[in-house]
Amino acid sequence: MKSLSLAFQVYLAFIKKSFQRRMQYRVANLVGLTTNFFFLLVHIFVYTAFYAARTVPQPLSLNEIITYFVLCQVSFMLMPLWGTRSEVTSAIKDGSVALQLTKPVDFQAYWFADECGRACYYLLMRGFPTFLISILFFEVTIPQQPTVLVAFTVSMMLAIFMSNAITITIFSSGFWTLDTTGIPGMSYSIITLFSGMLVPIALWPEWLAHIARWLPFEGLIDIPFSIYLGKITGIEVWIAIGKQMGWNLFFIGLGRFLLTRGFSRLVIQGG
Amino acid sequence: MIEVDNLSKTFKVYHHRKGFFGSFANLFSRKHRIVQAVDSISFTVERGEIVGYLGPNGAGKSTTIKMLTGILVPTSGSVTVNGYIPHRQRKENAKHIGVVFGQRSHLWFDLPVRESFELLQRIYRIPEVQYRYNVEMFDELLSIGDFFQTPVRQLSLGQRMRADIAAALLHDPDVLFLDEPTIGLDVVAKARIRQFIQKINAERQVTVVLTTHDLDDVEKLCKRVILIDNARLRFDGELATLRRLLSTERILSVDYAEAYPDVSIPSAHIVYQEGARVQYRFSPEEVSTADLIGAILQKFKIVDISVQEPDIEELIKTVYEDNLTLERKLTEPISPNTQAN
Repeated sequence: MKSLSLAFQVYLAFIKKSFQRRMQYRVANLVGLTTNFFFLLVHIFVYTAFYAARTVPQPLSLNEIITYFVLCQVSFMLMPLWGTRSEVTSAIKDGSVALQLTKPVDFQAYWFADECGRACYYLLMRGFPTFLISILFFEVTIPQQPTVLVAFTVSMMLAIFMSNAITITIFSSGFWTLDTTGIPGMSYSIITLFSGMLVPIALWPEWLAHIARWLPFEGLIDIPFSIYLGKITGIEVWIAIGKQMGWNLFFIGLGRFLLTRGFSRLVIQGG
Repeated sequence: MIEVDNLSKTFKVYHHRKGFFGSFANLFSRKHRIVQAVDSISFTVERGEIVGYLGPNGAGKSTTIKMLTGILVPTSGSVTVNGYIPHRQRKENAKHIGVVFGQRSHLWFDLPVRESFELLQRIYRIPEVQYRYNVEMFDELLSIGDFFQTPVRQLSLGQRMRADIAAALLHDPDVLFLDEPTIGLDVVAKARIRQFIQKINAERQVTVVLTTHDLDDVEKLCKRVILIDNARLRFDGELATLRRLLSTERILSVDYAEAYPDVSIPSAHIVYQEGARVQYRFSPEEVSTADLIGAILQKFKIVDISVQEPDIEELIKTVYEDNLTLERKLTEPISPNTQAN
């Protein structure tokens, strides 16, 4: 028990230091904030025009759509899939993973801790500011029931966790291909589409939405946001969160397996 | 302390297809060639020794170090460090070793040195008293206090190396692996790091395995050296013995007035030839430098001539081009002439 709490302290320290490290780049952050807004505006204008032209009622109202994309801009930076990636991600590519392995730490846990610190930083420095400014300019829906907020927070945390687990899995392919552009690049396109990041899954044609529901990636964006918007309610919330948990376990296990296998055949790049 | 028995490592080097689909196809690709990085190497290192692990680039030095630190899994043979099998008990082994790769920093790039050290304190679970004691001692010997609050990215190379070495010793490891710890440093910084390694070794009985291309490092620090070349062990013994073997070889560089077709000289081997520039290897035991130059002057017109002691890379290459040369030399009695050397 004592050793468990000591181990926890180590990774907690990693989270803290990871956070501190990002704090050194606060100016760059302001520039990033502007970029977030630019993309938010593009999304909002496109959907406003789109909604003005449609007469048939849509599954999501314009306000809900705007809220969805505000949440997108708030949260995508917290996920290593889309946000700026930490150096751990490039560790396999440039061989610095070797240095990590000379320390008595679990690599996957270190990676998670580092990403958690990163997520905290971006939540504070990017997520909250983006949200607050958005409230001033747009009609952003805010859930009235505290239970919805609780469910959303849990679901969002699971989404961030899963994005880490998926990233590790994808980058573990680097042990085999020694290349971190091909497979990751292709995976990003697929994941970005099926997470609902570009178009909420509710607006998809039936057959494609059906595919998305069977894939894990809706758990990154669509599930937490749908909970926030009250599109998933009651028992469905539990099922959705259960799904996220299941996929989390799956990817953590797969990532762990690939990392272990990968290390045993590690070729350190650059000798 | 360290036991290496018949250790080998082969790498499969895959043929790579480029581009988007190529990288996917690489997953299923089985086209490769086998590269032997380390070939049946055996040696043991006792507690408190400083061993120079030397060899030219690509000889397999780093690969061996990586197997000793548990990063790489050997293809065959066995390794134990401190009684641990590094690749099976990576984390256990890691608690008792310190590693410095000169080319790469272990410290967190954008954290101040101090914060990196505090993280290491947590990672290795170093008790506060021991931590403070070590930091004070390293400050005294390496003046890390001067830049303790500076982010690692702003450190000079010399400062970074000092910080890295101190960081590797914070948890009082039994074995310290140093992979080119003085690379790129100026003379003063090198001397300082050498002194520090000596002191740590003497006071704490830390076993040190050092790879370097710097002959001075070896001379100042190592009693014993292990030479590898082309993945194989070529020499394991006292530095003094090695020096006796190596110092017999000299290099004579000649710039001829023109590019003569045949520039061979008896009792000297041509090691390099390009246009009018020729380098000979010779042994002063067999022929004196004066006689050799005399022989050259008789036959050819020269522009410039110089004699140099070969550097360690060249020595290793020249001596081990032909393994028999070394074996013959090792069995030869030491002549009074060479002993004086």
